[in-house]
Amino acid sequence: MPSKDSQHSSPAPSRAAAETLFHVRDLARIYGDGSAAVTALAGIDLDLLAGELIVLLGASGSGKSTLLNQLGGLDSPTRGTLLYRGANLAEFDEDELTVFRRDAVGFVFQAYNLIPSLTARENVALITEICHDPMAPEEALALVDLADRMDHFPAQLSGGEQQRVAIARAIAKRPEVLLCDEPTGALDVHTGITVLEAIERINREIGTLAVIITHNAILADMADRVFTLSDGRIVNRRENRQRAAIRSLAW
Amino acid sequence: MSLLDRKLLRDLRALKSQAIAVALVMACGLAMMIMTRSLILSLEQTRDTYYEEHRFAEVFARLKRAPNAVRDELAAIPGVAAVQTGIAIQVTLDVPGLPEPAVGLINSLPERGELVLNRLYLRTGKLPAGRTTTHEIAVGEAFAAAHGLKPGDTISAVLNGAKETFRLSGIVLSPEFVFEAPPNAALPDNKTYGVFWMPYKELATAFQMYGAFNSVAVTLAPGASERDVIAAIDRVLAPYGARGAYGRIDHPSHRRVDDEIRVLQGLSVAFPLVFLSVAAFMTNSVMSRQIALQREQIAMLKACGFSNRQVGAHYFKFSLAIVVAGVGLGTLGGIGLGTRLVGMYHLFFRFPQLEFLLDQRVLVAASVVSALAAFIGVAGAVRRAVRLPPAEAMRPEAPARYQPAIVERLGLSRWFSASFRMALRNIQRRPVRSGLTCLALALATAILIVPNSFRDGVAYVIDFQWDIVQRQTVTLSLVEPGPPRALADFRHMPGVVWAEPFRYVPVELRAGPVVRRLALQGLPAQGTLNRVIDARPQQLVLPDRGIIVSAKLASILQVRPGDEIVARVLEGRERELRVPIIGLAEDFAGMAAYMEIRALNRLLLEGDRISGAHVVVDKAHWPAFLAAVKETPRIAGCVIKDSLRDGFRKTTAESIGLLQKIYMMFATIVAFGIIYNSARISLSERARELATLRVLGFSRGEVGAVLVGELVLLTLVALPLGLLLGSGFARGIISTVNTETVRLPLVLTSANYAFAVLVVALASAFSALFAARKLADIDLVSALKALD
Repeated sequence: MPSKDSQHSSPAPSRAAAETLFHVRDLARIYGDGSAAVTALAGIDLDLLAGELIVLLGASGSGKSTLLNQLGGLDSPTRGTLLYRGANLAEFDEDELTVFRRDAVGFVFQAYNLIPSLTARENVALITEICHDPMAPEEALALVDLADRMDHFPAQLSGGEQQRVAIARAIAKRPEVLLCDEPTGALDVHTGITVLEAIERINREIGTLAVIITHNAILADMADRVFTLSDGRIVNRRENRQRAAIRSLAW
Repeated sequence: MSLLDRKLLRDLRALKSQAIAVALVMACGLAMMIMTRSLILSLEQTRDTYYEEHRFAEVFARLKRAPNAVRDELAAIPGVAAVQTGIAIQVTLDVPGLPEPAVGLINSLPERGELVLNRLYLRTGKLPAGRTTTHEIAVGEAFAAAHGLKPGDTISAVLNGAKETFRLSGIVLSPEFVFEAPPNAALPDNKTYGVFWMPYKELATAFQMYGAFNSVAVTLAPGASERDVIAAIDRVLAPYGARGAYGRIDHPSHRRVDDEIRVLQGLSVAFPLVFLSVAAFMTNSVMSRQIALQREQIAMLKACGFSNRQVGAHYFKFSLAIVVAGVGLGTLGGIGLGTRLVGMYHLFFRFPQLEFLLDQRVLVAASVVSALAAFIGVAGAVRRAVRLPPAEAMRPEAPARYQPAIVERLGLSRWFSASFRMALRNIQRRPVRSGLTCLALALATAILIVPNSFRDGVAYVIDFQWDIVQRQTVTLSLVEPGPPRALADFRHMPGVVWAEPFRYVPVELRAGPVVRRLALQGLPAQGTLNRVIDARPQQLVLPDRGIIVSAKLASILQVRPGDEIVARVLEGRERELRVPIIGLAEDFAGMAAYMEIRALNRLLLEGDRISGAHVVVDKAHWPAFLAAVKETPRIAGCVIKDSLRDGFRKTTAESIGLLQKIYMMFATIVAFGIIYNSARISLSERARELATLRVLGFSRGEVGAVLVGELVLLTLVALPLGLLLGSGFARGIISTVNTETVRLPLVLTSANYAFAVLVVALASAFSALFAARKLADIDLVSALKALD
């Protein structure tokens, strides 16, 4: 697999020009200690650039989600370097991490995690209320093609629609990083495509760094770069010359 | 409104029945605390104000007769601030419409000016003028109310052998007679005992007492020693047939009021405290479990950049809404019921006015306790929720580690259905949660036991006192102790089937530093009417020497059978005797001491004398008997057992009864609230799991059986535990109702247990039914969608 940098095709920004958002060296996360210790990450090295679309591949238990949680400031590393724009996330306290998540990171989860008692618009507005310079919830929902379903409650939306509300919620704050943990895991192919298209569109139009976890290798073709994890290490790095159109991917 | 607040409102609306249940449980705890504490505050403040404004005396004395000049000697005693002397004489009354004779205590009003101490409060009419008119008398309110008397009505009294008719000038109250009960009687009987006031000159003249007094009341100067003043008064009055001065603690009305308040405190502090704690515990556990159910939402809020503080504040607001509702409802309920209770005590204690006073400190303290309980529950749940890494919290919980339940491992599984096994494993998998639900059910059962134990205790007292101990129809007492011939006369009265003599001697019993005044009763060794009963309950035979005292008196004097006590006789020739205690009697009202009548007379060196007789009367000759009693001037008093029993029912029993009903209502609400909430939470915690079972092909009935089976199993464990716990609560609370005038025995009946079990079973059945119906509403697809 090619792992050297090379020419990038549009629409992704040129890597040479792009800013490094995450600088990760020898990142390890070990749960528990002694004989009960479980090594979830065993020394990860990578740099993630603004505007990239990254896919993390790997089997269950390979460490993908742990890595994503580290990037999103939901968990702290056991050792190693984890810099975001040069700031060491490992040294952030709870309040600083909260501010980091609030301002810089958008999360999309496999289980959507919408507030059932709020409408689509309110679910998005809930987040825009607490951050600087967000888009209007309506605008974010339009970006995911849900302009006409804004006043529905989660229970009235299909799974794909709920996931798109979750994406709208994640991107309405104009995050620099969009972290998606198996966003299509609970969806059928067709719905999955609309969700991935929404993520790709955000990445392309807003220039958000998108990191998508999947265990579906076919999806890797939509990315700029692909990392495959196994036993807490990156075992494969691949760079796509050309991002494939999502509709061409079948799984 | 912020979106989080909007979420809050919608969550509350969705959980309204549970929120209402929690608020109600909290409100019940608060209402009970506020109601009872405010009642006590109202009574105490009213009493203290009344005593102060109407100058209730601090030391009292009775004597045969002393010239008015002695008054100055009393006033000169160091430590005495004010002295009021006068005449108080017991007379026989003839009340229109009352077949039996009644007893009146007539007190004198000073010739000039007002009473210095124990001032009267005029309810209606006016005080007897005295100088211009005669045959006017003022009557105490309790007696007037019992007979429907009003100013202008007339009443006849036998004054020194002459029957005179008086016009009632007005209805009055006195701080000396807040509780109008005859001396030495543990219970009031307002139909046959009344208190009156008339001008000194008229009363004194009728009894050839003009220029003399037989009653003294004194207040103390600040810092004066009551004991020294009492000793000095006794010295001054010794030549005049004094019966020993005494302080407020021995004043019959004061002690009754005090003891009633103490009974009320027993019933109204411990139980509401238990109740408030149960309510607080419930609120805490419901809130914490409710919020634990939202752990995924909490995780999402955190992941999206909400701080712990913001998330915490949101859930605090959630519980604040419930707390505000609970405190509001509880305060209103407490004030409403407290006002009603105060209204009842108004008929029972004679105060100029008794108004409900809200005990604000208790209101604040109880509200803070309830709110804290809720907030601690919220804080714990929110802390647990935010401690989990958000990404982890958002995933469905890892499958719990199931293992065969203990009973299954014992090889009993073939007896159980799959649903039942599942229910068993569910309980075992979550021992803490199951334990909490079980504890809640047990507490619900326990608080149902307590109120009915009050009721059963009162019923036992009524039976014990008036069926086991007292088997006479009436008790007749003589004006002065008389010869044995008087007993024969009683036996010859119309309708009298049997009569047994008694001798009453006012004594002061002393053991070490503890002193109590009471009437020592001389009774036949093995009487059949007024019997001496022990705790078993079996009749005690009075031996020909020694004294039997009630168990309560023994505990106050700190003596046991075998010990000796000193009895100072306060009547006639004053003398001190040492007598051994040879047994303990059981009683629930007042304090008593008994001796065999001839043995007592031997000690008194007065020969065979009787104070009266306990008499059984044939009901067919009742009117003739009463007429004969009225015609016998030597009979000073006639106490009808059934009126005493009625009096008790209307006062102490009624107040305990009303409290019991209110407590019962609250306990039932709380029991339902607790059980309903437990079932609701258990249902929502398990919705997915139960939906999965449905998808896997279990029928609705079978899935319902898992949930209901769990509730039934927990209830089965909780019930015996609750009965045990409730018995313990009842024991602790009843033991606080243990005063010198009224005590309650701990009586736990199977009917009480059965009722508690029934209420809990009904509440469980209702909650199970509700859960089963909700189960049918679970949308299988959406409940499962988020699973994989």
